[in-house]
Amino acid sequence: MVRAPASRRGGDPVSVIQELSSTRKSVSPRKKGDGRWALLFLAPWFVGLALITAGPMGASLYLSFTDYDLLSAPEWVGLENYTRMFEDPRFLNSLGVTFMYVFVSVPLQLAAALGLALLLDKGMRGLALYRSVYYLPSLLGGSVAIAILWRQIFGADGLVNQVLAIFGVQGQGWVSHPDYALGTLMALNVWTFGAPMVIFLAGLRQIPQMYYEAASIDGASRWRQFRSITVPLLTPIIFFNLVLQLIEAFQSFTRAFVVSGGNGGPSDSTLLYTLYLYLKGFGSLDMGYASAMAWFLLLIIGGMTVVNFLASKYWVFYDD
Amino acid sequence: MTDASTTAQTTTRTAARPPSGTGRGPGGRGAGTNGHPAAVRPRGRQVGARVGSVLKHAGLIAFGFVMLYPLLWMLASSFKPNALIFREPGLIPTDIDLSNYTDGWNALLHPFSHYLINSALVVLGSLLGNLLSCSLAAYAFARLEFKGKRLWFAIMLMSIMLPIHVVIVPQYVLFSQLEWINTFLPLIVPKLLATDAFFIFLMVQFFRGIPRELDEAATLDGANHLRIYLQIMLPLSMPALATTAIFTFIWTWNDFFSQLIFLTRPEMYTVPIALRTFVDSTGNSSWGSLFAMSIVSLIPVFIAFLFGQKYLVKGIATTGIK
Amino acid sequence: MSTTGNGLPLRRGKRLTASAAGLAAVALTLAACGGGDSGIGGGGDEAAPAAEECPCEIRFAWWGSDTRHESTQQIIEAFEAENPDITVVPDFTDWDGYWDKLATSVAAGDTPDVITQEERYISDYATKNVLADMSALDIDTSKVDDSVLAGGQIDGAQYGIPTGINAYAFVADPELFADAGVEVPDDTTWTWEDYVTTANEVSKGAGDGVWGTQDYGFNEAGLNVMARQRGETLFTPEGELGVSEQTVADFFQVSLDLMEGGGQPDAARTVEYQAAGPEGGLLGTNQGAMGVWWTNQLGALTDSSGHELELLRLPGESEGERTGMYYKPAMFYSVSADTKYPESSAKFVDFLLNSEEAAKVMLTDRGLPANTEVREAILGDLSPTDQKVADFMADIEDEIVDTPPVPPHGSAELADIMERVNTEVLFERITPQEAATQFIDEVNAAIAD
Repeated sequence: MVRAPASRRGGDPVSVIQELSSTRKSVSPRKKGDGRWALLFLAPWFVGLALITAGPMGASLYLSFTDYDLLSAPEWVGLENYTRMFEDPRFLNSLGVTFMYVFVSVPLQLAAALGLALLLDKGMRGLALYRSVYYLPSLLGGSVAIAILWRQIFGADGLVNQVLAIFGVQGQGWVSHPDYALGTLMALNVWTFGAPMVIFLAGLRQIPQMYYEAASIDGASRWRQFRSITVPLLTPIIFFNLVLQLIEAFQSFTRAFVVSGGNGGPSDSTLLYTLYLYLKGFGSLDMGYASAMAWFLLLIIGGMTVVNFLASKYWVFYDD
Repeated sequence: MTDASTTAQTTTRTAARPPSGTGRGPGGRGAGTNGHPAAVRPRGRQVGARVGSVLKHAGLIAFGFVMLYPLLWMLASSFKPNALIFREPGLIPTDIDLSNYTDGWNALLHPFSHYLINSALVVLGSLLGNLLSCSLAAYAFARLEFKGKRLWFAIMLMSIMLPIHVVIVPQYVLFSQLEWINTFLPLIVPKLLATDAFFIFLMVQFFRGIPRELDEAATLDGANHLRIYLQIMLPLSMPALATTAIFTFIWTWNDFFSQLIFLTRPEMYTVPIALRTFVDSTGNSSWGSLFAMSIVSLIPVFIAFLFGQKYLVKGIATTGIK
Repeated sequence: MSTTGNGLPLRRGKRLTASAAGLAAVALTLAACGGGDSGIGGGGDEAAPAAEECPCEIRFAWWGSDTRHESTQQIIEAFEAENPDITVVPDFTDWDGYWDKLATSVAAGDTPDVITQEERYISDYATKNVLADMSALDIDTSKVDDSVLAGGQIDGAQYGIPTGINAYAFVADPELFADAGVEVPDDTTWTWEDYVTTANEVSKGAGDGVWGTQDYGFNEAGLNVMARQRGETLFTPEGELGVSEQTVADFFQVSLDLMEGGGQPDAARTVEYQAAGPEGGLLGTNQGAMGVWWTNQLGALTDSSGHELELLRLPGESEGERTGMYYKPAMFYSVSADTKYPESSAKFVDFLLNSEEAAKVMLTDRGLPANTEVREAILGDLSPTDQKVADFMADIEDEIVDTPPVPPHGSAELADIMERVNTEVLFERITPQEAATQFIDEVNAAIAD
């Protein structure tokens, strides 16, 4: 069953690619009994999990069932925090705001990241410079300075409106109007597409050159190569970026904090879930409630990730 | 999965037909070469290629300017005296004033370089930690079979789903008991223990993209998992490692909240905390110093990225299996 | 998934150890959560602790921007020179991070010895026995006005000593008034209506891009002044809301009147200016003739605007049955109830409060000094702007009736509620009446615990 691969046998490129792309489940005797090796490789992670992650996670779960104000000992209240959550209009609002933010800005951000990554993969001068330029905004994403910068651009007298005025369009106070403020936050997320772009670039680079060469030799056009080699082999990375950007977006905090001046305004229009969580935990000193919110968020994100993983069977292509 | 592989097979089958002359587009000198020297191309194509390239560059530059505008504004403002920043918010400063840089550098208890060094120490520790421990764990998840793998993988992912605000207080208590508060240990040790599960997941995805045939070939040559990890996976995962390094650098450099909580004495402060102290919403804010020092602290990050790109770009350039 | 014969017990053992470690961590965490006991104790009882032995090390926590950090460092050094066996460890951050850090350190039992407090939070900390009753400590407060001291008292115990005083006042730009052809109003007689009319006039006279005033609705201090003018009060000494719905509605109505008459910018711009702080607001950018601020912000405002700004009393001081303005404790010095070194901490607070040397460095950064003697002593060192503040505060001294009670526990949310409700009013999403109801409901819920 295990014969030397076509490439070793000096076979034709077609069969090489065929073999390399097929979904063979090869079973080698080494597969069984990796337990010992797993222990070795996973040792640091296990220790970290036990000592640093599990403890605080468990504590926060416990705290979600208590009334805890940080300044005195926690008091058990059972499910009260959870029931309060669902009767809290600001909580429900923050859910809505967050869902909107996530499902609009993440696809846009990833599209920009993928597009630019493909453009900047190879084949032109100044690549390194362009890549750095597009990545630079991500470095600033959480800075205090963003608050000022965003106002300079999206404010009532800001750059965007000045540009719009050239075309005779009356602009709004984008960053300070409850109806539009969330949009500026989404713009911030898209502006920082540099991070997923870098990951896409790495993914593109990881695709073995030999596939392209073999396909070229057979006369496949660039578009064909893109469709049949790049996209399928990039799917693990696309999947990764999708899962992680979704998780990150759901947990987005610093940007909302900075752009809204720390209160999710105006009128709670930028009150992202984690921002509200923070305001409840550290602002109102209602850490029990905040912990309940955190675990509910975990449920949401967890559920969404499970769906992602299940769906991935249909479109993600692994070479193993 | 079958779809993609079938497509790959179909491609090569259709490509087996004689290629038509229109297989190349403008400016498409890219990957595969068809062995046609450029001089043989028709004149019109050459001009077309040039124009296309110029347009592409123009577009990228314009887009780059839009992307950079906020940063340029910040740069310009760093050269204006504090009082003028909001009064004259244009992009070109009327007077170049370097006092923000000198003021900002010396404003806090220590010269700003002290905070840069602190941040650098934390980042270095985090880099080593993440690169080592996360790649080890990723190898296990990507290449090994063991009991409960799915469960542990799920737990690993779960650990990134909980917002830091609710674990930081219990973590603080834990570190306080260990007397690690006000050292860099709470910031570095977790990285040595692969708590940044983001990177484990990242590397798992990359490792899974590396053909198993390489593993198998190595096994046939008598290598064990450790050797496969060291001599095959790691070298071929330069892009993933570079990505991990770049991201760890950026995130740790900019991480405000945990550094705020765990570092209590000013001499331990790092760049993000130092930057925040320039701005106080209740009283006098030194926006000029903030912008100046922000620019200064961007430089190492930018350089890190420029260098990191070199490794990012090293892909599987080999054209055959050794 | 399979394992070898060896693998299974090994893995199970590893898993057990992992769970045990995890459980231990959780237990440790929970045991430490919440403040400790011992030490001085809040509320004033228990036997006095044994005299402490130095060398002592105390931690002093405060917030501010870099200028304050520098000057405080100087003061610490001066104190340490006088008290060589006491070391003061600085612990400073910006305003936002300060409260997060403080709450976290208290949660872990790691409270700083000397803590800077503020009226919004002091009740929370005091009622949870985090702060000591400072009347039991050896601090000389004789030179501080009783009414000012009262600002840090809850149920008869002194949980914080005011560092200095501020007042909530209008700031006016006479240059812009002149440009608009309007006279600066007489602040001893002007009414709330006069305020609206004046602002509208300035806007008209000044042309595009300059307004009469900046919106005042984001800060509950203005509401408190208005309430006090009508014989009400924002919070009663019992810790309940003492303001009527009608007053709250009237308060928000003023903003609407101003927007309608053009005296203040539209809602979106108002929100932007609000977020920009003193440097980026209307006064600071020469785009507005008036704004209401705390007196210790006059310096930042003057620097940014480049003009000579004036302080004015709030409107309506002579309109109602009494005046509403008050001295607000800028911030408090508090001592931790669990401190190991109560005597050293007391010495340090005493130094901060009463030392002329310290005052000459600090000047008015933490408000006009609470110690009246020290206040006199530094008058000569004040910048012209701070001089104006000192003069203004002296002017209004006789008009002030009383100090408002300390806001109750839970009042930290008040600023948040105020901002949200005001924004809703400005964007005309709710009427002032609805705003009043919402405000009262939400504040009551916040202080209910």
